[in-house]
Amino acid sequence: MGPPRTAHSDSELSVTADEITCQQFVELVTEYFEGALEPHTLTRAEEHLVMCDWCVTYAEQMQSTVASLGRLGAGRSPEPPESALAVLRERSPDGA
Amino acid sequence: MRSEPAIAAAGPASSDEETVAALRVGDERTFRDLFARSYPAMKRVARTYVASDAVAEEIVQETWIAILTGIDRFEGRSTLGTWIFGVLVNQAKYRSAGEKRALPFSSVAPSEPDDPAVDPDRFQKDDDAWPGHWATPPRPWQKPERRLLSLEVRERLRAAMTELPDRQRLVVGLRDIDGHSAEEVCDLLGVSPENQRVLLHRGRSRLRAVLEEYVDAADV
Repeated sequence: MGPPRTAHSDSELSVTADEITCQQFVELVTEYFEGALEPHTLTRAEEHLVMCDWCVTYAEQMQSTVASLGRLGAGRSPEPPESALAVLRERSPDGA
Repeated sequence: MRSEPAIAAAGPASSDEETVAALRVGDERTFRDLFARSYPAMKRVARTYVASDAVAEEIVQETWIAILTGIDRFEGRSTLGTWIFGVLVNQAKYRSAGEKRALPFSSVAPSEPDDPAVDPDRFQKDDDAWPGHWATPPRPWQKPERRLLSLEVRERLRAAMTELPDRQRLVVGLRDIDGHSAEEVCDLLGVSPENQRVLLHRGRSRLRAVLEEYVDAADV
């Protein structure tokens, strides 16, 4: 089979590899979650996850990271400024 | 992951046309709703051009004044969201002219170095038993999952965000903090889906590493 190649781009990977390494998987993980992997590469990634608990852990950590970022969400937006409301109110037919 | 509200449409029933028509007759509820939903992303984009939150907020204000003043000129050739962000970027560039910050979104090649997602030393080398497989594997975070809700973690993440390169911070912020879709972000920033994914990947990878460091240190 030969030594694993350190391919970085998805297209390179889909042409040459029979299986992917952990080092390759961590570069593909975002595309994996985005649903952006080519079918061949997706299959390789899923096969890898079946065999590699560590990469499953890594993928879960990525999900936890994204979830944590979601919790940083801005909360309530401020009120619109009076200056903008004033422009808006000039447009209203009854001037209110 | 997160559900993504559209930036400009006022809700499932409102199209751009309906929103614009309402704004043209001064409908305050439509405006307030649109303002609130757009605010996080507008503030985030403005903030990448200038050095302070306060100036970023002024840019957002000025943008809305320009939008509402010129709303009759919107022809629907782009989406409302694209138009709003176009005005925002122009305002931001104008305000930031003295600040010497450049945000090369239009450049074709990413300007950040090609950082690997994980330190290569964490993997076995070509002369090891399993080249490319983990040498120092990640440890599960299950038990400390509750820690990820803590204030300290949030502060770490916020700090780590400020250290990301501008474009990575912007994409991660718009996607993962503000909850916009990949399509919306590409539209807003004028980047290709692939570029957007690369920036998202690099940003998220760095942030995961920050959290891993935190969790590992907390476990000792």
